[in-house]
Amino acid sequence: MARITIDPITRIEGHLRIDVEVDGGVVRDAWSVGTMWRGIELILKGRDPREAWIFTQRICGVCTTVHAIASVRAVENALGMEIPLNAQYIRNLLVTAHALHDHIVHFYHLSALDWVDVVSALKADPVKAAGIAESLSPWPKNGKREMEATKARLAGFVAGGQLGIFTNGYWGHPAMRLSPEVNLIAVSHYLQALDIQRKANQAVAILGGKTPNIQNLAVGGVANPINLDSPAALNMEKLYTVKSLLDEVVAFVQQVYVPDVCAIGAMYPDWFKYGAGVTNYLAVPELPLDTKGTKFDMPGGTIIGGRPDSYTPITSFQDKYFKDNVTEGIARAHYEGSWDKHPWEETTDPKPGEVDHDGKYSWVKAPRFKGMPMQVGPTAQVYMAYVAGHEPTRRWANAALDKASKIAGAKLSPEILHSTLGRHAARAIRAAVMSELALKHWNLLAENIGKGDFTTFNEPKIGNEEVRGVGFHEAPRGALSHWVVMKDKKIANYQAVVPSTWNAGPRDGKGQRGPYEASLIGNPVADPKRPLEVLRTIHSFDPCLSCAIHTVDMEGNEQSRVKVL
Amino acid sequence: MTGTTLPVPRNVAIVGLGNVLMGDDAFGPYVVASLQAHYDFPEGVELIDAGTPGHELSVYLDGRDVLIVVDAVLAAGSPGDLRSYTDDEVVARPPSLVTSPHEPGLRDALMKLAFSGRAPQRLLLVGVISSDIELGAGLSEPVSRAVPAAEEAILESLAQIGIVPSPKNPSSDPAIWWE
Repeated sequence: MARITIDPITRIEGHLRIDVEVDGGVVRDAWSVGTMWRGIELILKGRDPREAWIFTQRICGVCTTVHAIASVRAVENALGMEIPLNAQYIRNLLVTAHALHDHIVHFYHLSALDWVDVVSALKADPVKAAGIAESLSPWPKNGKREMEATKARLAGFVAGGQLGIFTNGYWGHPAMRLSPEVNLIAVSHYLQALDIQRKANQAVAILGGKTPNIQNLAVGGVANPINLDSPAALNMEKLYTVKSLLDEVVAFVQQVYVPDVCAIGAMYPDWFKYGAGVTNYLAVPELPLDTKGTKFDMPGGTIIGGRPDSYTPITSFQDKYFKDNVTEGIARAHYEGSWDKHPWEETTDPKPGEVDHDGKYSWVKAPRFKGMPMQVGPTAQVYMAYVAGHEPTRRWANAALDKASKIAGAKLSPEILHSTLGRHAARAIRAAVMSELALKHWNLLAENIGKGDFTTFNEPKIGNEEVRGVGFHEAPRGALSHWVVMKDKKIANYQAVVPSTWNAGPRDGKGQRGPYEASLIGNPVADPKRPLEVLRTIHSFDPCLSCAIHTVDMEGNEQSRVKVL
Repeated sequence: MTGTTLPVPRNVAIVGLGNVLMGDDAFGPYVVASLQAHYDFPEGVELIDAGTPGHELSVYLDGRDVLIVVDAVLAAGSPGDLRSYTDDEVVARPPSLVTSPHEPGLRDALMKLAFSGRAPQRLLLVGVISSDIELGAGLSEPVSRAVPAAEEAILESLAQIGIVPSPKNPSSDPAIWWE
């Protein structure tokens, strides 16, 4: 038996470490270790609740927008507020543009190297590659010229001895299976995705006033005045710029990202069998359509044990089923004591310690819903929407499954979503659904402004009495909720229960594993020194343990570590 | 190009990296806020408090003529010591094993841009050796004392490429909202 530890030591403290026990080429047990503690409430206590979002968007430099949105929703919920329709739509545009950006980058820049052998692309025939790409999609940048240019660029890069960004790719690994041509297509789209990323970011910057930390949000709405005659306000010119940027991002999602995931997925059919782990799913409804948050364009709820008949919807920002059933536990986390508490009641008393697989081993708490571990993220959201009969989800999911089935030569059903590759497929389907909805909400905003409604902000009225609220947001990595207790116009308690806590959390007091841990069990590992398969499953969740710091290491040579004991 | 005068670059970014809620990690954003409070910069020079944008970082570095990054660095020395690195010195080491979207750091972003042919033409990293990187707002004393010197170093390198910002009169206090 081998015990493998994957521990990125890129920062003074890391973020996520995975320990697995491998026996007979198969993972037998796993521990997900968050190596850094987070305590946003310690910074927020005593502050003005209207300013909380400015701080929460700095919890995590990647997920800025999502923590801002969840925070203003939490305070509005505590105050029983409605926000103007325009503000709802503008937030929805921020949410969709950010999510599309995030999903594209995750696939092409953070996880594609798990499946794509970059060096193999050097052996590709560009004409053949173009033929394959053009058979998959009408995307105009799939021609022979693009493929030749990509191959030449890659050859130059490799010849210069600077594989640079790809240095950590596991090329030549026995688990790599794409043809040189498909690898070349993927590298070509990797480059195009950089350009699309910039465009999605620009759309967020126009609406949010700035990126990466948006400034146009407010408890009560948004801070963008709408004035069609003012260059400083949100006017038609800016709205049309947003629209044309979104159009490009949407085309890329529908014509490049979705077909690529279908093609790559079809070549790794085994990976629809591994990595399901926890199949209790939680997603929250998103893209509110009214001022109160009682109607949504994307459904949410819970599913237990992957059973469609267990679907229970979460229907509004006031939903009691959600509000009453979330807890976090610290039995196996580095905090004083051993309790399960509702987020409003939590305390944060760090108790530093070593990694003890039989005791406390992670800085991440273990969130539970009715005492159960829940997987959150695209698989939870898409599978649930499919079960709930959400039309755009069913249409995009069926189209993607048909396409992949044709390439694979075998019938793929929605049940493949419960897997490592299923999470990538779900993310692509979700991106396609959101790409449609982004344009829909742009139209809704333009129509509402056309009716003469320019309101974007309702003044919040804060009293001295104690009030509690929850704000949730279906973020790119899944259900995010912020929980606030306010008294005397100040924050008395604040907790953020984030998607990566749901997924990366440790065992609980009952010994139930978290989703990362459960998903690794049964995974094959061909070469313990190069545990590509473990990375495949972990990366499929799009891990993001918040509270990043940024330090450039100018001394250490070893930037990350895979240790086999 | 000896003997000819290089044109003044038109696309310059000064990017502060770091988490403002994590003590000395706020050095980059702090220096950027100080520069903004003390100087008016000519057109074509953009100052960005980028936080810890992970995989989004490349967006802010993309296609720059000159890029100046201010960040905390791990290097030999005492807290508050400044270290400057240029171009290849920054990129020479291997990138990290990417496990989360935070992991692509400065080096990874620069390599990604190099692959796409959009790397900055000139690069300066002004780094400070930090003392406390722990949850909480505010720079440690030695790191706080390094802020004016970092501003100086940036102004000097801007002067070398023909960019001279004008001092604000009166200058304002830096907008350090997180403290």
